[in-house]
Amino acid sequence: MKKYSDWSRGDKHYGRSGYSSREPHTSYRYQKSQTREEVLTPALKEHAISSSPMAMAVDFKTHVDQACRAAEEFVNIYYETMDKRRHAIIRLYLDKATLIWNGNVVTGLEALAHFFEMLPSSEFQINMLDCQPVHEQATQSQTTVLVVTSGAVKFDGNKQHFFNQNFLLTAHSTPTSTVWKIASDCFRFQDWANI
Amino acid sequence: MDGHSVFQGRKRSSNYIGHKFDRKNHHLGHPGTPYASRPKRRRIKYSDEDQNFPSVWEDDKQQESELGLGARNRNLDSWFKVTIPNGKKYDKTWLIKSIQDFCSVPLNVVDFHYDKKRARFFVQNARTASALKDISNKICDETSQKIPILVTPSIVPYSVQNKFTSEQMEVLKVAVMKRYDASQKSLDLQRFRFDQDLMDNDIDMMLNRRSCMIATLQIVQRNIPELLALNVCNNKLYQLDGLSDLIEKAPQVKILNLSRNKLKSFFELEKVKDLNLEELWLEGNPFCNHVSDQSDYISAIRDLFPKLLRLDGKELILPAELILPAQMDIEVPQETRTDSELIKNLVLQFLKEYYLCYDNGDRFRLLDAYHDEACFSLAIPFNFNDPDMSNLEEYFKYNRDIKKLQDSYTRMRLLKHTKQDIVDSLSLLPKTQHDFCSFWVDLCLHTDIMLCFSVNGLFKEVEGKCQGCIRAFTRIFIATHYSNSRICIMNDELIVRNASPREIKNAFISLPPADTSSKPPLSEEQQEMVKSFSVQSGMKLNWSQKCLEDNGWDYTKAAEVFTIMQNEDKIPKEFFK
Repeated sequence: MKKYSDWSRGDKHYGRSGYSSREPHTSYRYQKSQTREEVLTPALKEHAISSSPMAMAVDFKTHVDQACRAAEEFVNIYYETMDKRRHAIIRLYLDKATLIWNGNVVTGLEALAHFFEMLPSSEFQINMLDCQPVHEQATQSQTTVLVVTSGAVKFDGNKQHFFNQNFLLTAHSTPTSTVWKIASDCFRFQDWANI
Repeated sequence: MDGHSVFQGRKRSSNYIGHKFDRKNHHLGHPGTPYASRPKRRRIKYSDEDQNFPSVWEDDKQQESELGLGARNRNLDSWFKVTIPNGKKYDKTWLIKSIQDFCSVPLNVVDFHYDKKRARFFVQNARTASALKDISNKICDETSQKIPILVTPSIVPYSVQNKFTSEQMEVLKVAVMKRYDASQKSLDLQRFRFDQDLMDNDIDMMLNRRSCMIATLQIVQRNIPELLALNVCNNKLYQLDGLSDLIEKAPQVKILNLSRNKLKSFFELEKVKDLNLEELWLEGNPFCNHVSDQSDYISAIRDLFPKLLRLDGKELILPAELILPAQMDIEVPQETRTDSELIKNLVLQFLKEYYLCYDNGDRFRLLDAYHDEACFSLAIPFNFNDPDMSNLEEYFKYNRDIKKLQDSYTRMRLLKHTKQDIVDSLSLLPKTQHDFCSFWVDLCLHTDIMLCFSVNGLFKEVEGKCQGCIRAFTRIFIATHYSNSRICIMNDELIVRNASPREIKNAFISLPPADTSSKPPLSEEQQEMVKSFSVQSGMKLNWSQKCLEDNGWDYTKAAEVFTIMQNEDKIPKEFFK
């Protein structure tokens, strides 16, 4: 009950201790990445220890919500960085990340950096997004999200290509937030067979 | 009428025809029946009627009666007009070749041109005409639709009537050669009508007219067939039907200047697409003003002329994506090579079993493939270019595109969780048949325990409203694979879209043909039967053979069975040539 009265006192200013010192425009939902160079979402809740079906259901919904948040935030930042600040794209990848670009495999930060440098300037337009939380049994408890996008891209102002892309994002927690990085990235033109 | 009216509009009066025979050509001896109210002859002036040249021919019946020479004409080599309705959609070379293949009589196509949606040409004698009538509705196009061919008597085509005399051809030859630059192998016919030599000799060289174009191309063919560059800028060309003959007369032309003419539609360029052009000039034509998207325009031109390097004087940039893959240094670390082989086999085996069950069996049997707490969802990419997304409605019900779905309850609902839920949903999706040969697999990530791979390919709907529709899909699987044993799916994401026309063309082509390997070779007679059956039915040789085999090599019976099935639309399109 005490908790509720705390709320009622502070809710006029969306005030909760810890948030009041943040910038006024920050949405009460979560803090958007300040620099737009990292994908951040609120800190992960602790896993419910109880294994009752109710608790597990709550868990799953939490995972799904979190996956959606991460996916939306990620897609915004990723494609904006690809188009406008290509030099920074490499920061979104893990050290051992793999990229498969129209069937070509690129592994490791150095190779990735080289690849993105060589890739001509891009203009992305995303028209579909879906995501799923990946079960922890597959990931050895490393929180992972599958993000799937589809859209159109123009390289160097040339002909537009439709593409499908999927990412595996892994979460790295800090006390205040979660940083998501790309573990794998698979990109393919829809008309790759005709090039 | 008065000589001052510049524009007589598109009135199709009988007098309209009279104008065609302008004063220069009178000495050709056309039937000189006085036309009751023929308009006064115009001065030398470009007229707008010329742009719709072919429409004149619609009045031929009227002409014949007017000329009062119907009977007489038929005694000479009578001409016939051949029309293919909807002929515009067929490639000219394919069309003529198909007609030639089917026609028992050698064909001499005169004045091939397009009129709205029709394709038209002329042939000279009654034998050819009746042979063509016979093959009407015998030729099938790529979509297995029969092509009707209509043949009617006609007056002598204008290009033949207005043929130049040999003296005129001599003058023309001199004029052309003066404009030919042998060092460059280029011919400059800019504003050809106002060439001094031609005007001095009273030759009205309007290149938009079939007769003039034919004569000019004839000169080119006889004297300079090695021509590389042709400039027909500023000749008031409204259509390129005449120029479509250029590929036969001067096949090596690489540079073509069509600028500042009167081409109104991009379609005109399709008439000259046989030329292997490296340089093209189009600016100053009316259709250039209607270009909304520059890059689409350029890629459409590139589709017609794949070797094109320069357009309107500007170098075309080669698409970057063509260059990139070659520059990639792909390294596969030595020690993991055998690992990837194992994984590759595991994945391929899994996909075979999965899709076999998905297509043919009860999808409930897929329960075993999934983990208890697996997830599945489906999404459809929104595509402005796809006009017919309504035929994806069976999938739209499950479309989980979180870009458009903000409501967290719906997002949850559309994400299927637990293997029972998943298999239930899969069973509700339309029945399919996947084209294994179109599959392409990307192995996105693999660890000791996890595999993530995506499959790209095509499938066909086999029942329901959209039966026969071909879709393209991408499916991402995340699975566990403890020490290379059975794959257990944890996450399954399916993306479905309509296949593009190119993809449809390449779908299901490697259908296993009737198994002829284990059977004795065919006798001469049987081979002949297969060949004729194939020609008559339009089916590929192997399927014709199967049909004959299934009917005990009784040709009539096989033909009956074929016709019945054909009428009931039971024969797949892939069976046909």
